[in-house]
Amino acid sequence: MPPQANVPLPTGYQLDEYRIERQLSLGGFSIVYLAFDKEDTPVAIKEYLPNSLALRSTGDALPSIAEENVATFRYGMKCFFEEGRALAKISHPNVVRVLNFFRANETVYMVMHYERGRTLQEHIQKHKGEIRESFIRTIFARLLNGLREVHTHKLLHLDIKPSNIYLRNDGQPVLIDFGAARQTLSTDTPLLKPMYTPGFAAPEQYNSIRRELLGPWTDIYSIGASMYACMAAAAPQAADQRIERDQLVPAVRRWQDKYSRQLLETVDWCMHLNYLERPQSVFALQKALADKDRIVPRQTLLGHLRKKVKAFIK
Amino acid sequence: MKFTIYQESRPGKRPTNEDRIAYCYSRDALLMVVADGMGGHLHGEVAAQIAVQYITESFQREAKPDLKDPFLFLSGAINNAHHAILDYAADRFLPDAPRTTCVACIVQDSIAYWAHAGDSRLYAIRGGRILAQTRDHSRVARMVEDGLISAEDATRHPARNRIFSCLGGTNAPQIDFSKKTPLMTGDVVLLCSDGVWGPLPADVIPRAMSTGNVLQASPALLNQAEARGGENADNLSIIAIRWEDSYAEDTLGSVSTKTMPIDSFTTQMEAFAKARKGAQPLPNLSDEDIERAIQEINAAIKKFSK
Repeated sequence: MPPQANVPLPTGYQLDEYRIERQLSLGGFSIVYLAFDKEDTPVAIKEYLPNSLALRSTGDALPSIAEENVATFRYGMKCFFEEGRALAKISHPNVVRVLNFFRANETVYMVMHYERGRTLQEHIQKHKGEIRESFIRTIFARLLNGLREVHTHKLLHLDIKPSNIYLRNDGQPVLIDFGAARQTLSTDTPLLKPMYTPGFAAPEQYNSIRRELLGPWTDIYSIGASMYACMAAAAPQAADQRIERDQLVPAVRRWQDKYSRQLLETVDWCMHLNYLERPQSVFALQKALADKDRIVPRQTLLGHLRKKVKAFIK
Repeated sequence: MKFTIYQESRPGKRPTNEDRIAYCYSRDALLMVVADGMGGHLHGEVAAQIAVQYITESFQREAKPDLKDPFLFLSGAINNAHHAILDYAADRFLPDAPRTTCVACIVQDSIAYWAHAGDSRLYAIRGGRILAQTRDHSRVARMVEDGLISAEDATRHPARNRIFSCLGGTNAPQIDFSKKTPLMTGDVVLLCSDGVWGPLPADVIPRAMSTGNVLQASPALLNQAEARGGENADNLSIIAIRWEDSYAEDTLGSVSTKTMPIDSFTTQMEAFAKARKGAQPLPNLSDEDIERAIQEINAAIKKFSK
């Protein structure tokens, strides 16, 4: 039986020092609200409420948590704290800012800066197939500044996709939703299955056993897939399916008349199934995005041979 | 762990049933074995019996409640079963050791692992299509793969029953291992002896399992194979499971994104692996732990705010 959806807190509900305005989004793991603080400044509040473990019905503030789920519910909070910890240390214009963290209604809440604008996903839908090269270059170059800051803190976002890239009204992109973020080196949460989004998650994310393969290149795959989605106006083929049978048409072949070859090669570079073939750092990718004349490293000879041998064996 | 299972073995039109089958599960791991004792060798059923019994007992010893390394387990158990058969023959001064095929599968954490020697098969079926299948250790099957003869010819080929890997033979068995195969709700894993797959056209088995109702489809499949086997129907054995674990339901990547509208890229997340990893109790997060975490985060927010 699929878990039921949770009922959000009602408009006007006084939550700690904040007044709930409305629900912004609902996920399996949390609800995000628009709310106002004491000074009437808008904030986004994320409520930890995994619907597989805790259910809130209409009219209640407190969720009901089955006895056998209490321990798991609490354990899942760790993941939520992880996100808070990750974001608390980062103060960057291209990364969503956390303002406060508190406990109420038997669960926990994270207060974030509320940005006016829309998600890149909404933008893609609105401008289907008409997104210009300069837009892609500018937005992603700026976004990568934020991602670089994230990686500098030894964190990976692990769920970059157009709906997690927010475009502020002033044109600055902001990386949001660090629900999947993990400390690169911490492996102390084996019980929590990683989150990933088909189409944007890198192949190595599907194989949770080999976590040591996750790295900056994992987020870079998702960046490439997001750029690809800007061009295609749809999500690219999921990486696990690409491993089975790669049906993804390389950007270079698909849009050769529409975008510069250098940009298309950059996208394909990011979306290599083999993580070693992708840009290994955000900086390397930024250089490619900033400089139109820069030559994108072609497939290495070794990689080319490997592919040949694989095709031969098959 | 949640699944539906069906197993049945029939003699067909043969005087004895030399097939042996078994399944066995702990809280967190499931084992299924099919062994087809080889006629033409002495005591085929003895070899099959030893193999199934040996592997099942090893499983009961080691799956507490799950196996540390399922492939290592399969490799050890099958090789040791081979030696147990040889020992049996040596103890009784048999001129030739009895022989058997063997296919064994472990499922734990919604991942299937299997290994086989000979021509008893395993099919992993999703939505009526074969996700993965064992490759028979028979020259005829390899000839079909290489395009030297047709599948049709193979059913009549005089050497169709000859296999080059088995347990109890003079050579150590060649054991092939599967990939780790994650299962989704509704996936069917089916193990059977050649008495089942032999008489049936290639697409019958996956199609029969497309409903996922193993309790009905398995005996129906045996009926069909037995009828087609005619006067000479071989021993027929089947074990089939339908995997029901709901934790894998929303997560594994068979989701087709090609037809997905762009506004539906939702993040899918597995529910917490509460029952599956039940072996390790969850570290308890006390009220104090929560308070401490919140204080820590708020301190960090203040510290890093410009």
